[in-house]
Amino acid sequence: MDVAVPPSTKTPPDPGPVRTADPVARLQGLDVSLERNGVRSPILHGVDLEVGRGEIVGVVGESGSGKSVMSMAMLGLLPESSRPRIDGTLEVAGMDLRTAPPARLREARRSRLGVVFQDPMTSLNPTMLVGRQVAEKAGSPQEAVRLMRAVGIPQPERRYRSYPHELSGGLRQRVMIAMALAGRPELVVADEPTTALDVTVQAQILRLLADMRDEIGCSVVMITHDLGVAAQVADRIAVMYRGRIVETGTTRQVLEHPQHPYTLGLLGSRLSLDSDRSRPLWSLPAEAAGTAGAASGGCAFASRCRFAVEACAEGVPTLDEVAAGDGHAEHRAACFESGRVGDRGVSRTLLDPLPPLPDHGRGAPLIQAAELECTFQVRDEHGRRARLGALRGVTFDLQPGESVAVVGESGSGKSTLLRVAGHLEKRFTGSVRGPRGTDIQMVFQDAGSSLTPWMTVREVLHERLPRGTDRAEKESRARAILDRVGLPPAVLDAIPGELSGGQRQRVVLARATIVPPRVLLCDEPTSALDVSVAANVLNLINEMRRELGIAVMFVTHDLAVARIVGDRIAVMYLGRIVEVGRAEDVIARPQHPYTRNLVAAVPRPGTIVEPLPGEPASALDPPTGCAFHPRCPVAVPECSSTVVGIQLTAVDGRSTADVARRHEVACLRRGEI
Amino acid sequence: MSRLRFVGVRLASLLGLLGALSLVLFLLQEVSGADPVSATIGGNASPDAVAAARERLGLDDPAPQRYLAFVGGLLTGDLGTSFRTRRPVAEDIGAYLPATLELVLVAFLLAVLLGVLFAVSSMLRWPLAGVFRGLLFVGSTAPTFMLGILGIIVFYKLLGWLPASGRGGVTDGPTGLSVLDSMLAGDPAATGDALAHVVMPALALAVGPALAIGRVLRSSLTETLRSDHVRTATAKGLTETQVLRGHVLRNSLGASLSMGALQLGFMFGGVLLVEGVFTWGGLGSYLSASLPVSDFPAVAGVTFVLGGLYVAVNTAADVLQSVADPRISVS
Repeated sequence: MDVAVPPSTKTPPDPGPVRTADPVARLQGLDVSLERNGVRSPILHGVDLEVGRGEIVGVVGESGSGKSVMSMAMLGLLPESSRPRIDGTLEVAGMDLRTAPPARLREARRSRLGVVFQDPMTSLNPTMLVGRQVAEKAGSPQEAVRLMRAVGIPQPERRYRSYPHELSGGLRQRVMIAMALAGRPELVVADEPTTALDVTVQAQILRLLADMRDEIGCSVVMITHDLGVAAQVADRIAVMYRGRIVETGTTRQVLEHPQHPYTLGLLGSRLSLDSDRSRPLWSLPAEAAGTAGAASGGCAFASRCRFAVEACAEGVPTLDEVAAGDGHAEHRAACFESGRVGDRGVSRTLLDPLPPLPDHGRGAPLIQAAELECTFQVRDEHGRRARLGALRGVTFDLQPGESVAVVGESGSGKSTLLRVAGHLEKRFTGSVRGPRGTDIQMVFQDAGSSLTPWMTVREVLHERLPRGTDRAEKESRARAILDRVGLPPAVLDAIPGELSGGQRQRVVLARATIVPPRVLLCDEPTSALDVSVAANVLNLINEMRRELGIAVMFVTHDLAVARIVGDRIAVMYLGRIVEVGRAEDVIARPQHPYTRNLVAAVPRPGTIVEPLPGEPASALDPPTGCAFHPRCPVAVPECSSTVVGIQLTAVDGRSTADVARRHEVACLRRGEI
Repeated sequence: MSRLRFVGVRLASLLGLLGALSLVLFLLQEVSGADPVSATIGGNASPDAVAAARERLGLDDPAPQRYLAFVGGLLTGDLGTSFRTRRPVAEDIGAYLPATLELVLVAFLLAVLLGVLFAVSSMLRWPLAGVFRGLLFVGSTAPTFMLGILGIIVFYKLLGWLPASGRGGVTDGPTGLSVLDSMLAGDPAATGDALAHVVMPALALAVGPALAIGRVLRSSLTETLRSDHVRTATAKGLTETQVLRGHVLRNSLGASLSMGALQLGFMFGGVLLVEGVFTWGGLGSYLSASLPVSDFPAVAGVTFVLGGLYVAVNTAADVLQSVADPRISVS
């Protein structure tokens, strides 16, 4: 699969582009309130934002920040059923969206605005050819094909006649972008455009958005929960918290001299490949329920803020220009104490190092899996029977007390491996030996659906204790475990629906560890959580490993997360482990070309990652030989040969009996590159 | 390619279902204890005559052989001879089926029309939306025969607007459908008469299905309107009509189509009751005359024909659904 982006790495223009007196979008003192179940609640409070021509503005915020409501308001797309009430200035593409007649608004959406939504699967009409969907906005099939070619869709004439379910996630998002760019819009609003995509595909899409801006000169408002994603492509960044913009400035200003404690918290809890593994992750305190500052008339962030002073509870700080700054664009922050925050070192060194891991000796492996093959009967996109090789020969073990992170993109088989290890998946060949029953516990990505909705936390926890335990003891153990996971005893009477995502994930962890298992299996437990909350959960897992001596197998798509929880990292691609070794070895000296790319794809502020071409091949039809060879920059003809078995082989002959220190790679060209 | 395959699979399962239906009918006949001999030659016949009749009817053959003969008959359109009318069942059904078909077709058109009307009326922003919403949920509890009797009391007895029984217009035309035949004959008065006769029984039959279709349509419309891709369509700057036509209706059809087919199938059952209430001279009358005298060939024939229609309608709906939603043929 070919991708139409030039192969150069580049940094975004800095200082920001010239901002004209004629912005594409101007929001001033924007208040928006929406009605839900008959209750009206304010969502945005006095938002000021200007988007210049040709500028990329990153709007960063976590769930509940109001960033999506703001983006929908900018397109006039707030659902009528929520009876939006809008006050203040809301001018987009030269018209006042509050008063514009529907026909004009429609015309503007058609020709002057574009939008890219998060999930390209649900955002495209499943019953209409994708080409027709692009043509609806582009005006003609020819123009649609041209746009589809421009956004790097291979064989656009053929893809024109595809339905969305016949395309991969990355291609679907390219279709969305082609649609957004139809009619050469002045402004494209992209709402979490990369969140639903695989890491290597994310990089491609970000690159595409930046290139499109350069080419047609449109402005882009990029909504994201990930400061790192915004930092890669945005000229300016606006950080939102609880319906207010709390800091805004050029990307460099915000990243290098954050003036608001929330920005600082986001930066601090962001994981990179340099995060300190020996200390707990820096994290924002969880939000105390019911103490929203906004309600009490103070700064909404005060209850989580390490810099809070008395004034914070009394008044809301305005978004004011900060003294520091490097010229061109104004740097503003809404904080009484921004002077103190500016000294960023304060927050970083406060945390004590983690205690060392307990020594488990060199006993027999806890889980030992050999030659696992796992094939599912499925139907391919043409409705034919097909065999999906989820695992294609995986040998793997887990030592007592050890933590192994399994990293891979969708379709790599990482979750299947976890399910086989947990005895949840029976359809496999090969052998698995390991603990069963209550000695092995699992934590899934979606904590909401893995808790029974009508059971209180107390019932959930008591259920796991052995029968015959008397009630008082059950209660005290439940309280103890809640305390360990950092939840107040009041939570005992709550049902899952009353808890936040982070709280639910903690309850799941409490349930899994109230009777300490020997192995904890985690399937992306943090990927649905906000960055600041995810750090808390990772800290908790690391703490419990040390205090309870639990071995952990942790599946994730995020190498930075893997590095924090894993003593060892196993990288999977299309049903095989392609590299495995100590976390520091794999990250610092990746041997497999795929691992190298994963390492390079971890977002770093200010650099656009060189995207790996193509998408993971389909597990229905894995390439012969080394499955990675079609995307591999160093592949040689032998790589596709079916004759040469490509085995995991020790790196630099360090074949050591000590599993924990071994570094192995499955690549024909190991050692050469 | 995959569409063709899908249709092929559906047709194969249609044949399988018909085979199963024939087996069930045959087994019912076996256990029903109905004695075709005494039914055909009378209870007082001599033992010799009885033996001869058994021989002629093949009743002494082993069961599998008799079943094959039965299926062979079905395949060649031979449904046996009615004990009651002494005529081939196929001929009898041919004579009564058009009346039933007419009633069901008119009722189905009404059901679809009313269903869409109710669904849309319950979603528009107007004062009666709540009333229609309530009707959609409560209305279907009214039993069909009661609606029929109520209709007769109001529109025939009290108001005198509509006839209470029988068919009107041209009933012996080429198609056997009185409304169509009257129109073909170019006779407005007869057409009016035919319509006047069919409207009340058709309505009685249509109300339940109309509400069911309306309910399903309403919920799938609501769901589609809230979906992400409709938001995308709006964000593209399409007009409301374009959004509704291109992105909402087709996506909402699937569930309504299968509900429609299901209801059409049920109508082939419900029509028997309604025919009784309105003394409509269709298969219902034929069946209610055949049942008390254990005229098994007649009952089996009607069951097979109505059952076959039911299965065929559902197969057609499956195929239509796969046209409406390209994902169906995949999963």
